[in-house]
Amino acid sequence: MLLLREFQYIQVKMNRKQAAKIGLVLASPLLIYFLVFFVYPIFLLFRYAFTSSSGALSLSNFAAMTRDPLLYSSLVNTLYYFVGSVAVQFSGGFLAAIVLNSYTGRLRNVFRMILYIPLTISPIVIALMWLLIFNPTYGPIDYILRRPVNWLGSPNLAMPTIIVANGWEYVPFVFLIIYAGLQSVPKQYYEAASIDGMNRLQTFRYITMPSIRPIMIIAFLLNSIGILQGFTLVYVLTNGGPGFSTYILSFYIYKVAFTYFNMHYAAALSLLFIFIIAVFVYAMLKLTSVEKYLGISRAGGNE
Amino acid sequence: MKKLNIVLLIILLIFSLFSLFPIYWTVITALKVNSEIFTTTPVFFPTKITFSNFYTPGQTFGAVSQTAFGSLPWLINSTVIALLSSLIGTFLIGAPAAYALTHYLKNVWFGRTVLLMMMIPEAALIIPFYVIIIRVNLINTWWGLTLVYLSFTAPLSTWLLMGFFGDLPRSVEEAASIDGLSAYRIFYRIALPMVMPGIIVSIILNFINAWNEFLYALVLTYMPFPSGAQTVPIFLTDFIVIEKSFAWGGLAAAGVIVIIPSIVIGIYAQKYLVRGWTMGAVKE
Amino acid sequence: MSEVVIENLTKKFGNTIVLNHVNITIKPREFFVLLGPSGSGKTTLLRLIAGLEDITEGSIYIDGKKVNEKPPKDRDIAMVFQNYALYPHLTVFDNIAMPLKVRGLSKDKVVQSVKEISTRLHIEELLQKRPRQLSGGQQQRVALARALVRNPAIFLLDEPLSNLDAKLRIEARTFLKSLQRELGVTTIFVTHDQSEAMSMATKIAVLNKGVIKQVADPYELYMKPQDVFTAGFVGSPAMNMIPGKVVREDSKWKFKSDDLKLELEGMAFDRESNVILGIRPEHIVIDNSAGIEGKILIVEPLGSITYLDVVVGNTHLTVQYTGLVRLDAGMSVKLNFAADKMLFYDKATEKLINS
Repeated sequence: MLLLREFQYIQVKMNRKQAAKIGLVLASPLLIYFLVFFVYPIFLLFRYAFTSSSGALSLSNFAAMTRDPLLYSSLVNTLYYFVGSVAVQFSGGFLAAIVLNSYTGRLRNVFRMILYIPLTISPIVIALMWLLIFNPTYGPIDYILRRPVNWLGSPNLAMPTIIVANGWEYVPFVFLIIYAGLQSVPKQYYEAASIDGMNRLQTFRYITMPSIRPIMIIAFLLNSIGILQGFTLVYVLTNGGPGFSTYILSFYIYKVAFTYFNMHYAAALSLLFIFIIAVFVYAMLKLTSVEKYLGISRAGGNE
Repeated sequence: MKKLNIVLLIILLIFSLFSLFPIYWTVITALKVNSEIFTTTPVFFPTKITFSNFYTPGQTFGAVSQTAFGSLPWLINSTVIALLSSLIGTFLIGAPAAYALTHYLKNVWFGRTVLLMMMIPEAALIIPFYVIIIRVNLINTWWGLTLVYLSFTAPLSTWLLMGFFGDLPRSVEEAASIDGLSAYRIFYRIALPMVMPGIIVSIILNFINAWNEFLYALVLTYMPFPSGAQTVPIFLTDFIVIEKSFAWGGLAAAGVIVIIPSIVIGIYAQKYLVRGWTMGAVKE
Repeated sequence: MSEVVIENLTKKFGNTIVLNHVNITIKPREFFVLLGPSGSGKTTLLRLIAGLEDITEGSIYIDGKKVNEKPPKDRDIAMVFQNYALYPHLTVFDNIAMPLKVRGLSKDKVVQSVKEISTRLHIEELLQKRPRQLSGGQQQRVALARALVRNPAIFLLDEPLSNLDAKLRIEARTFLKSLQRELGVTTIFVTHDQSEAMSMATKIAVLNKGVIKQVADPYELYMKPQDVFTAGFVGSPAMNMIPGKVVREDSKWKFKSDDLKLELEGMAFDRESNVILGIRPEHIVIDNSAGIEGKILIVEPLGSITYLDVVVGNTHLTVQYTGLVRLDAGMSVKLNFAADKMLFYDKATEKLINS
């Protein structure tokens, strides 16, 4: 069997068949769950997507997608949301990591703790906190700006507001990963660089950046996937509004499925969503070929 | 490099301010008197403190008669479901799978599949999950939601523990084999205890994810305990929606109550949480 | 107390041959040492005997029974690993008890056996501690206890002394040797340290690059190494190896190299050939009456013994000196080679010519 050829085993004195059997027994819960709650659902999605509401096999759902202006604007919003969030989170996290790493005071760990606290807070509460802050009448922001701005109520500002709130929660995530990466660069590299006479900028460019490149890519990947999946903030802060200006794809799918109860169309949209993510991940991996850093190599026969 | 340090310090302070201000604002709002909340010139340093937003006899958290105690039914649901999903995901599914994938079925594609499981968006899976859960009559139940939550706790546990199991010294397992232990016994009595730190990371991380989860709970539950399995995030959301227009103080108080345990756990379990979040990204 | 027979054993990892048609017989009660440099295949051979690796070709017999397909637990063996491989989360007692518990012994028997072996190994006070609380030497004894508590037929050790500091290592050597003699268990011991092998073994098998070079007891191995590799590997400081020719001149056999000429009294060879002359440092005598002229380059005084690096032309010779006269670098000396201790190896085959 094609699959069996790739097996290796640590356990002693047993042939491949025996090893595979033990492996299968141990992995069976995962396998069963995978089949029931991943494979079957995907199959269901396909079934629903390719049937019309009367139950007949048809491509009507996909045809409808091309004629759906709301889908189009959701995709645009999602892109907007994604690019904005990634920009904010990645640059913020990166900057914070670099700054903290270069800082040599005694308060270093205190700062690390402070910077990572937002990550521990539930997204709902985060939404709540920002509701308080962005309140047009009583909130502090508007006071500082000296004029009331209806942040969450105006179509142009709603999305940026969500991006900021989302950034507040996930900048620490990016920060943590990159900071850990920076910390794990061996000191000797920096010492050698200083002996060689490099200044700070050169050290950064030739030592630091190459060392953390894989980590940055992983941080970017994980961060992106998390952002694309986002739902809670939109639901709580704006419920898609004002109008449809904060409809992102995940929210739109929810609406179609559970407010308009058009399951078939929603299934088609879900497949589209999965497809978009798949393309994105594939493109990222191909462009950067850092798969080996993702810890997957542990299963890939490195003995 | 004293000068540079000062610049860095300033930047860090700005970040910290940004990090802490929302929390600070929420906390003081919870403690403010209504007159200081509903002013057009916000009060950054309250002059009067009150706890009435937390508890006033007869009415609490504003106009709706929801007491902090009243959120108990949702708390019960959340606790049970989060515990079930994190424990089952880690012990029953994740650990044996991770062990198998690092010792017996060492094929790259299996690891990739696990990763893939985590990348499929909730919004896409919710529809088939909804259909399945309704069909098996588990809608609005603990088990219904737990089974769905396993869709992220199981792969995450597996992925985390694969790292830990992969690092185990081979010789100890070989010694066990020579001592006469069977493969399953080696897993259960030797390998599993040796990855305890990883297990803790997995349980904590999964617990938090399950606790905060929103979309699945929104769709698959509709009533609090004992009539249903609604979780804390749903309760909070309804609360926000209802109270949005007037009971800011109460809202803030609700927020404070929820944040405090999160932050406390965040500080104490720091070691584990950080390890979990950076796991696989950085080899420590 | 069993016999192990290894027949035509070959082991390949992919296309790399790690062990090449190895044949050994290990008699009961022997302290048998597998000696060789890293990469020689000695650990692989041990692991094959243990059942931790698959055999590519050949067979292993324990007590006359073929064990190729048997898992380790069915071979009645016990093993001590280089890093001891103790169970970190169990107490010392539980570590030692594990092999007995797994085999279903009654609780009383388990306790009794563990107590016995711990007393014998002087670790009774450590029974409730965890491995991380123990020193290296203590951990090693726990590993020994765990292995021996079952009274196995075969006892395997994979460089168990490498992780100990020098002084402990010497103590452990003596300890292990007497322990083995007391228990009488057939022991197979892997090491790269030739002095360790020499001091502990009843029989040594020298390996290099997957091939057995010689199997002999320590004395014979030291005195009559059968090939160049063994000659150079066993003994410290290493044997002097001088390439040259044996020729017949005036009906006498002589050894000639670029720098040396020796008359070989009472020796006979089949024919003239290119050879390598091997002579140990302690078999070269400084005799200032007559001999080969050389100059002392380096003096290494080690207390009771002094090692000299003497150059004869371009040839460096290590010479052992135990005399009382103080020698310094730069001095000229005359060297005599002990006639009966010279070993001649054919240059091409690297094997011993004279016997």
